[in-house]
Amino acid sequence: MRVSLKWLKQLVDVDLAPEELAERLDMTGTVIEAVETLGASLEGVVVGRILTKERHPEAEKLWVTTVDTGGEEPLNIVCGAQNFEAGDKVPVATIGTELPNGMKIKKAKLRGITSEGMNCSAAELGVGADESGIMVLPEDAPVGAPFAEYHGTADTVLELEVTPNRPDCLSMAGIAREVGAITGRKATIPSATPKEQGQPIAESVRVTIEDPGLCARYTARLIRGVSIGPSPDWMIERILAAGQRPVNNVVDITNYVMFELGQPLHAFDASKLGIDEEGNAHVIVRRAKEGERLTTLDGQDRALSTDVLLICDPTGPIALAGVMGGESTEVCEETVDILLESASFDTACTSRTSRSLGLISEASMRFERGVDPNGCANAADRAAALLAELCDGDVAPGIVDEYPRKAEARGVSLRISRLNDVLGTDISAEEVEGILTSLGLGVAGGPETFDLTVPTFRPDIEREVDLIEEVVRVWGMERVASTLPGGRERIGRLTYEQRWRERIERTLRAAGLNETMTYSFGDPGDMDRLGWDLPAGEVPVKLLNPMSEEQAVMRRTLAPGLLRSVSYNQRRDVDNVHLYEAGTVFWTEAGSKQPHEGARVAGVLAGRWHSPEWHDPKPSQASDERDRTQAELRSPELNFFDGKGLVEALVSDLGVERFKVRVEEYPWLQPGRSAELIVNGQVAGWVGEVHPRVLDAFDAHGPVVMFELAMDVLTAAAVPLRQYSEIPRFPAVELDIALVVEESVSAERVEQAITSAGGKVLEGVRLFDVYMGAGVPEGKKSLAYALTYRASDRTLTDEEVRPQHEKLLRKVASAVGAELRA
Amino acid sequence: MGVAEELEEMRDEGLAAIASAEDLASLDAVRVAYLGKKGLLTGVLRGLGQLSPQERPAVGKASNDVRESLEKALAERRAHLEEAHLEARVAAGAVDVTLPGRVRLPGREHLINMITREIVEIFLGLGYEVAEGPEAELDYYNFTALNHPPAHPARAASDTFYVQDLSMETVDSTGESDVLLRTHTSPVQIRVMEQGKPPLYVIAPGRVYRRDIADPSHLPQFHQVEGLVVDEGITFGDLKGTLDYFCKEMFGRDRRTRFRPHFFPFTEPSAEVDVSCGICDGAGCRFCKGTGWLEILGCGMVDPNVFEYVAVDSERYVGFAFGMGVERIAALKYNIPDLRMLVEGDMRFLRQF
Repeated sequence: MRVSLKWLKQLVDVDLAPEELAERLDMTGTVIEAVETLGASLEGVVVGRILTKERHPEAEKLWVTTVDTGGEEPLNIVCGAQNFEAGDKVPVATIGTELPNGMKIKKAKLRGITSEGMNCSAAELGVGADESGIMVLPEDAPVGAPFAEYHGTADTVLELEVTPNRPDCLSMAGIAREVGAITGRKATIPSATPKEQGQPIAESVRVTIEDPGLCARYTARLIRGVSIGPSPDWMIERILAAGQRPVNNVVDITNYVMFELGQPLHAFDASKLGIDEEGNAHVIVRRAKEGERLTTLDGQDRALSTDVLLICDPTGPIALAGVMGGESTEVCEETVDILLESASFDTACTSRTSRSLGLISEASMRFERGVDPNGCANAADRAAALLAELCDGDVAPGIVDEYPRKAEARGVSLRISRLNDVLGTDISAEEVEGILTSLGLGVAGGPETFDLTVPTFRPDIEREVDLIEEVVRVWGMERVASTLPGGRERIGRLTYEQRWRERIERTLRAAGLNETMTYSFGDPGDMDRLGWDLPAGEVPVKLLNPMSEEQAVMRRTLAPGLLRSVSYNQRRDVDNVHLYEAGTVFWTEAGSKQPHEGARVAGVLAGRWHSPEWHDPKPSQASDERDRTQAELRSPELNFFDGKGLVEALVSDLGVERFKVRVEEYPWLQPGRSAELIVNGQVAGWVGEVHPRVLDAFDAHGPVVMFELAMDVLTAAAVPLRQYSEIPRFPAVELDIALVVEESVSAERVEQAITSAGGKVLEGVRLFDVYMGAGVPEGKKSLAYALTYRASDRTLTDEEVRPQHEKLLRKVASAVGAELRA
Repeated sequence: MGVAEELEEMRDEGLAAIASAEDLASLDAVRVAYLGKKGLLTGVLRGLGQLSPQERPAVGKASNDVRESLEKALAERRAHLEEAHLEARVAAGAVDVTLPGRVRLPGREHLINMITREIVEIFLGLGYEVAEGPEAELDYYNFTALNHPPAHPARAASDTFYVQDLSMETVDSTGESDVLLRTHTSPVQIRVMEQGKPPLYVIAPGRVYRRDIADPSHLPQFHQVEGLVVDEGITFGDLKGTLDYFCKEMFGRDRRTRFRPHFFPFTEPSAEVDVSCGICDGAGCRFCKGTGWLEILGCGMVDPNVFEYVAVDSERYVGFAFGMGVERIAALKYNIPDLRMLVEGDMRFLRQF
């Protein structure tokens, strides 16, 4: 809502500077989006006096003038207007001026004669509609004075953000009332009683509201014999300040009254309205029928759905109620008689219609928020009086007023004690009474409880709490003292799961992963890219109105987002990528309303932990072809075991009792480098190196290691309390063994064999070397373990351990088919 | 030469040899030469038997004196040489301490979660619990129970993401579907009040969604932190005091707040909270667009209509609620020029905070 201060000052006495007024409005609930100074653009335009006027020697229609603008020398100005004489005072745009229409005034030669400025028309200056000639100013205009100052075009416009609960503030009158309340002045709400003549309207116009649910009131006025033409300058100025283009006097008056009183009006050409059997113009307010169409003012032929409210005549639709008029009854230059509509339409219906047709106008915006039916007649009278005054119209006696659903002022009471209890204040009954009175409410009762009568232009005030809000915003929120709640029964804490989730993330960060966030949206093609088949019955969570095809579903896994992040980094030559994300994934199934949500934590590794450093161990050389894989796994390039290691660190930190990996293939992971993660017997997720084909699909290159875990499985397996176990008091005996086994024998199997053969004194098993190559037969591998023997009650001697160790070796060798290596 | 003179000479030579031993090995050779099984002094002691009983005590004593003084000198020399040896070893081990350390850097927390955690911690300190709710939410929780009228524009398909409802139930909302991606964290208020009884002091961080095209200042997904307090005797002054404390903790002790009345469907009275600009301290600068203030929060007293949906007695209990955008705080506090950086996963960005 654009508020011209010049206009506002006609309605309420404001003596605050524009900035102060803006600040007061801001602090009482009306946000100021911008403060615009009008007339500033007329800088450089001054009052001048034509000294001489001679024919241009080369052009019959041009004049060469000399103009006194108060400077030392008069200016030479070539001018094409015909409506002036030497001695006239005119507005002169000097060199360097930029006019409101964007024209820049430069020194120029016109048919050989230099022109040092421009004599301007009202239209060129944006202060009127007249473009037929230059603007001749009164004789007393002071030569050299800035035109804006002299003419009084200087104005300040406040651009207000009106909250949806305050339809009354979408009018100058409402803003004036608001300003009056916050400055303690009384606002004048414009009204008029038009002079009436001729045949009463009731004898020629009839209105029928077929759907009173969507139209609370419909009033009409008939104005005969109008002459269509430009509006007077003062009105054009107001219309421009309000942000609208002037059209003609009739249209401008309807707009002017809308801005003034907040009541949208529509003018029909009365001669174009269809008549009923008795010869009366008949306006019918009803819903559209199946298949009906209407060509609106903008020339568009529109198909109408049955929830659209229409204004019709006996022949069919003539306007979209509250949204836009129809072309067939439009006011044009030949229009003589006008039927003026001032009505109140349903908010939701207007909103649906204007949005579904993409027609959002000043009128629809007001109806959408609510137009006070009790204001319709006053606005009709006000506009009729202006039509009489400015268009020479004859206002027909009377008003047609169909008012099926009368809006009544509401009664609400307010307890002063409740007000101060809720606010934490000590505002007196007198202050409350003063504030509510200034807002236009009727105040009775008191001092403990007031009974208020709320005028219908304030539909937002329905309950006691609404009155409390009115009081505090006008009284001043800044005056409410700050306190802290004194509640006794509160304890600040995180839940058990929240604490573990934080700990899981902390552990991953400590292990070197950086947290990231990716979109919760997914590309419907992502699951195909991964080769991930949804379990039977499960379907993706689809958005009905996605921003794009690439974000049309909700993600089922964090993997695609992280792979895109790897690609993003790699494409920018950032090759060492260590990321994790903790986020929500979504799934659903037929028959389900709300989708399921699951918390996941996933990590991705690519490149190395860091680029080569001076202290890195020198890479080991593969002894032969067979050892190459082992050499690769020992290199600083991140691989499967770095991913698995992160998961191991995590479950160790959580104190998980039983953790294992199971060989498992996943379509998005490289076979032979992928595993299922089992926590306390439950599948918790997967880890592996991403399949090269999948990397291709995500424009990334490998190796890329990923894991994804279900947060709830992890937090459920976390052990919050771990009992003390004794620190060894006696020394251990450490013995190394090397076993040569078939390549297909898993490390897990060998370790199990060792553990089960070890007996009570075997404390630990650590695999410290895996070797394939020279010295080990084809198809075999050598596994070297360090075994720790220890007794808790004595120092073990070599002699005591040896036989046990020998026995263990024999058992293990037969269990896994191992040979001992020297 | 008598035995006594011989011993005297042996001691002098021995002491000289000890003194001139340059390392532990030659010192040990000296020890062996004099005190070893075949050493010189040992030889003298062995010869004692050949001496007369009269001579024996004197020579025995003299040779013991020599042994003691040699042993003492040996110990001293050994200590000296060991010290020197250690020093030499340490000196040889000196390194260029300006070489980079062996480091594996811990990972960083994402800026948005870092800020969220900061906010949550401030409210944990004020006695709040952390509540959560679904991101794919029902219209009822996101709009209806938060007192949004059926035709509220926020329900428009142009603003809110709607999720396919597979229940085949008739849609009872006015939106596209009964299921949507929550547009704010406020539905958690309703869930908390449905599940618990006052007094309630909760903070609810989470991801929310709005149909905005991703650009430097918008993302279709972002994060909010919601606060809700419901208790007896709560006042608007408590809301002011709480948020004033929060803003000072979050942005700095010297920052001021101001409350501007505003409108939200689910609070009444409602306000927007500005914090004084940290660059110009309220004088007005480019950062705060000349106003001296930065808008940070929306807040208000829980509307009685909302209490009605969750069956809380609005005469007995008063509540306040507030909400803030984490990305906005990130942009303001950390000078992030483009919010899209938050979802790209660029290591060079993530490693900065």
